[in-house]
Amino acid sequence: MQSFRLNGSRILEIDLHGDAVRAATGAMIAYTGDVTFRNAGLGGGGGLRAALKQKATGESVSLMTCSGQGTVWFAKDAMEVLVVELNGETLRVESEQLLALSDKLKTDVAFAGLRGASSGQGLFTTTVTGFGAVALLSSGGPPIALEVSPQYPLVVDPDAFIASQGRLNQTFVTDVSWRNLIGESSGEAFSLRFDGSGVVYIQPEEK
Amino acid sequence: MGVFEQVNGKVITAPVSPGREILARRGAMLAYTGDVGFSPVHMGPGGAGGMVGRMVQGEQVAMMVAQGQGTVHYGYRGLYLTIIEVDGSGPLSVEADRLVAHEAALQSTVVFLGSQGGIRGAVRGAVSGQGLFTTQLHGYGCAAVLSHGGTIAIPVDGSRPVAVDPQAYVAHVGQVQVDISASVGWRDAVGRGSGEAIQLKLSGHGTVYVQASEQKL
Repeated sequence: MQSFRLNGSRILEIDLHGDAVRAATGAMIAYTGDVTFRNAGLGGGGGLRAALKQKATGESVSLMTCSGQGTVWFAKDAMEVLVVELNGETLRVESEQLLALSDKLKTDVAFAGLRGASSGQGLFTTTVTGFGAVALLSSGGPPIALEVSPQYPLVVDPDAFIASQGRLNQTFVTDVSWRNLIGESSGEAFSLRFDGSGVVYIQPEEK
Repeated sequence: MGVFEQVNGKVITAPVSPGREILARRGAMLAYTGDVGFSPVHMGPGGAGGMVGRMVQGEQVAMMVAQGQGTVHYGYRGLYLTIIEVDGSGPLSVEADRLVAHEAALQSTVVFLGSQGGIRGAVRGAVSGQGLFTTQLHGYGCAAVLSHGGTIAIPVDGSRPVAVDPQAYVAHVGQVQVDISASVGWRDAVGRGSGEAIQLKLSGHGTVYVQASEQKL
């Protein structure tokens, strides 16, 4: 398996030995050796079906494939990097919080419930499935992993959400009352609720 | 060696004593202890000629000198600071607006990039948005440079040239040649490029510092 190493907390370092890795376009900051970068094509390399879904849903992932021999460093806007290993599970992630993923992983688009309407991130999230590593971005500081178990459901702010992993059921919670209409809202009218068991990653900034 | 010390990622301390003055960007002093005086530097290193050159080139940042006996804390706009030691093996090249402080023992000059790599050097400056001029520090001493999100140091040696995104490039030290490499294909023309068409290629012996972001300061 490819090794995703962190150099500091904001820079991801990947060694390539003739294999490939997919990363957000423009996220390469430096490389040594013989590495080529090309656009991963429609659907961020997820195939034609994913591409069509992305076109229809607006949840676009712009990825490039980096292949060859050498070391590549990735970073984006000084955001903190978090590496998550997947062993056959599915990770749901906001497409703009995705930095890099192993080439063997499959990406697709999934319906994320009504939450997207409020968070402005689209009604759909990107899913990543398979065996390999994924690097996620957290803005505003280091990410926090919160565990969800059947007894303890979790509610998060849609803007702070980065990714979720495990057997989770995601629902959209609204708390809109007459107070919102007269402008007396608490600013937390929309939230995301997770039931089941798994892990939810959040960032300390509401974009 | 290392007279500058990192307090945290964004603040450094520098000791000042007679004969060991510190030149710093104006306004970068956060605090000091002891008997230290600050005065603006009107004539940059290189004398009047150097100053005129600087003004023409736009590669100018107002500096001040700290003199006396004590310790000064420096920081700038909450950006990350990296301490780089110049050990005489080669000059430190850095954009003037990234240079926060350096020991007065280091000689600073402004270099026209075109003279390093001919027309390609000029193109490099234009493409990377770094201007056609860069500041070089020669000699022995410490310097502190600004970055967005901190830096990593990547060694460059003869067998291992390094390619760097122009927006993420911060500084380099040593006997390093910088060249621009463009691999612009039809994909970029139709907006389906990888976003990595233009790179700086560094070869030779030394170290290049790269920041964790593609934002300018």
